[in-house]
Amino acid sequence: MTTYPATGTWRRYFSWNTDHKVIGIQYIVTSFVFFILAGMLAMLMRAELRAPGSDLLNAETYNQVMTNHGSLMIFLWILPVVAGFGNYLIPLMIGARDMAFPRLNALSYWLIPPAGLIMLASFFVGGAEAGWTAYVPLSIGGPPGQTLWAVSVMILGISAIMGAINFVTTVITMRAPGMTFGRLPLFVWGMMATSLLVLSATPVLTAGLVLVALDRVVGTQFFTVASGGDPILWQNLFWFYSHPAVYIMILPAMGIVSEIFPVFARKPIFGYRMIALSSMAIAVLGLTVWAHHMFASGMDPRLRVPYMVSSMVIAVPTGIKIFSWLATIWYGKLRLTTPMLFALGFISMFLIGGLTGIFLAAIPVDLHVTDTYFVVAHLHFVLFGGSVSAVYAGLYYWFPKITGRMYDEKTGRVHFVANFVGTNLAYLPMFAAGLMGMPRRVADYDPSFTSYNQMATLGGLILALSTLPFLYNAIVSWARGPKAAANPWSALTLEWQTSSPPPTENFAEIPVVTTDPYAYGEESSLTAEPAAAPAAG
Amino acid sequence: MKERTLFLSAIVAIVLVALGFLVASQANLMPPEASTRAVEVDQLFRVLLGVSTVIFFLVEGALVFAVLRFRKRAGDDRDGPPIHGNTSLEILWTLIPTAIVVVIGVYSFQVLMSIENPGRSPRIVEIIGRQFAWSFRYPDQDLATSELHLPVGQSVVFQITSEDVIHSFWVPAFRGKRDATPGQVSEMTITPREIGVFPIRCAELCGAGHSIMTSQVVVESQDAFDGWLAQQQALANDPGQLFLTMGCGGCHILAAAGSTGTVGPPLDGLAARAGGRAPSEDAAPYVEESILEPDSFVAPGFQPGLMPKNFGQRLTPEQLQALVAFLLAQP
Repeated sequence: MTTYPATGTWRRYFSWNTDHKVIGIQYIVTSFVFFILAGMLAMLMRAELRAPGSDLLNAETYNQVMTNHGSLMIFLWILPVVAGFGNYLIPLMIGARDMAFPRLNALSYWLIPPAGLIMLASFFVGGAEAGWTAYVPLSIGGPPGQTLWAVSVMILGISAIMGAINFVTTVITMRAPGMTFGRLPLFVWGMMATSLLVLSATPVLTAGLVLVALDRVVGTQFFTVASGGDPILWQNLFWFYSHPAVYIMILPAMGIVSEIFPVFARKPIFGYRMIALSSMAIAVLGLTVWAHHMFASGMDPRLRVPYMVSSMVIAVPTGIKIFSWLATIWYGKLRLTTPMLFALGFISMFLIGGLTGIFLAAIPVDLHVTDTYFVVAHLHFVLFGGSVSAVYAGLYYWFPKITGRMYDEKTGRVHFVANFVGTNLAYLPMFAAGLMGMPRRVADYDPSFTSYNQMATLGGLILALSTLPFLYNAIVSWARGPKAAANPWSALTLEWQTSSPPPTENFAEIPVVTTDPYAYGEESSLTAEPAAAPAAG
Repeated sequence: MKERTLFLSAIVAIVLVALGFLVASQANLMPPEASTRAVEVDQLFRVLLGVSTVIFFLVEGALVFAVLRFRKRAGDDRDGPPIHGNTSLEILWTLIPTAIVVVIGVYSFQVLMSIENPGRSPRIVEIIGRQFAWSFRYPDQDLATSELHLPVGQSVVFQITSEDVIHSFWVPAFRGKRDATPGQVSEMTITPREIGVFPIRCAELCGAGHSIMTSQVVVESQDAFDGWLAQQQALANDPGQLFLTMGCGGCHILAAAGSTGTVGPPLDGLAARAGGRAPSEDAAPYVEESILEPDSFVAPGFQPGLMPKNFGQRLTPEQLQALVAFLLAQP
């Protein structure tokens, strides 16, 4: 059976450990390290783009920095940090002792550090320069670093698939008595939708990467035009995964804020069923929109309209979620803690990402703004204003549960304000630059775009500095913050009904669930008998 | 109470819609509308901007209002009311966005059909992308040029392709772009409506020179355009013109051609440096080799692998000889 090495020592975080909570922390901390690295690459880019002309990086280095910034942020920060939340929280939230496959779980984590090192190693063998999209034929002809890039993303894909199998199996088979699907916390619904997307889409990208690697290493001709290969084939394979990847990154984020609003509004979540359903609707629709990235490509023009329709329809379930969150806080008793501030910031910035998505779905407008800074702004509002805000919200919200200590509220607020100002200052001017004619992924630009870029660089600098209060808060509070109670937020989901941090195997006795997880404001509000907390590990 | 809510909602709705109209009609966020397509695209853009403005201020306003109005008061530790949902409200905010999306979708489709309709007997211009320059061909005149000129008011279909990696041909003032993909030809229809000079940019990452892969389109009167065509035909075998047509100017400085690219070595005064540069080669064979097989000797300080290797196919032997002689004659 599963074995747990001696608990209570920091060494377990550097070892093969099958406890889902240790693995969750391993995922979160590792991915945060990559987040910092990728953020530093972003600052190099913003420094180069501070003024027109080439002064800091030459064009090739710029392309390497840009490629690794995007790839690290997506494959080694947002995707694994979300998996880290899933690992830590899903067994606790459904009242299970661990994940369904603890050893597979450890394996899926331990693939990540080597994959990250392989990606970074590309810098030393000529670099990967084709962007995170790695369009052929550019990526086939590129320097050797491109092969390392492909191998790294392949390994990360395998890790994600194993993780998703584990999440789905755990949720289906290991729920506590009374934890029906209708009582599943919305974060767990989000992780279910995400995992089903990973299982449907990731194998396609991994297979595509095998073809690219074969073309590069063995000399096959899958994408060589002269031999009848098709560059558009790669775009189809890539976007069949990579557009759903956006939903893979945003659905758990929506799940996180759906946990936070009821707790700090002291009100039940508004329209539980519609929020859960809309996650599933986004997952299904998300598999049908990929070619909206290819409206300007050589794909058959007649095929574009169905993708425009499916892309626009996604606005409907997304709107349902936003309106439901607003209705949740309406008439509430809002406690503006740091996690709540980040969750509110999530709505306000994700909204901008969502609305500009409609512009990109409308083909005539897309043909002007695609592949410009408009897209850069849009995707950063979705993934930074959206996903990363929610990740920060989640990190603060579950900090007392994970570490057993409270973070400092004042420092948290400073972090929120700097992050909010920095995000908007960095990305709003990019919409204007793109509309006026600035293409994306350029190492240099026309002097007419200077003022937009200066603002973006200043915003980027504020964003970079905003991580300092977070790091300070996290490290100092984890080491010697005040001890946290088992349930400092008086929340009703199961992870709060055990000690902080939870003991090995989570619950002394498996809880029996009798009500829904958001029954705030009602008489019999506790979902379960609080499990007696044995001495925390 | 109910009447008051209705009244307030109506006021909020009117203010929001007015704000939407104001933003949509006043915003000036794009370059000049230099093609008929741009006018239609911008109209659609304004509609989207108006709708988005209404939704944006509705949601952000509600958010700010809720934070101010429903903030927990000191000493009040009660929970909020146990409201789990409201079916009619939920149906409402499913149906209204659906209706908006349907209208936007139909309108976008109409605009798409209209902007892609080439009209009767459009002029064809072939556009070829290669790392890192654009070149143009007027098939009716069998004429290759380094500059794109178009007569105002006349519909043109660009037939766009690439000789190496994927590029994307974009004229922001025309509001359209189309990828240049090797092995296939993609079409884009444009009718210029304003005389002027507008930038062309590459919008798809194509390598180290992506950001300098720029050019310009000159929209002029029919007379000026005809004059330019005749002049280009007369110059077709002129080596200085060839230098530009082949895209050399994108990367190399040459005073005689007025080019300012800095990706490759400058070529003024080449004769003084070329002889004996590569081991045991005279100036002329060295320059010829550098054009045909650019990586066999790379001038110090510059990158290998950037210059196209297909000039052997694109230049006739006479053109090659003329170009070498021309380059060696530059002071």
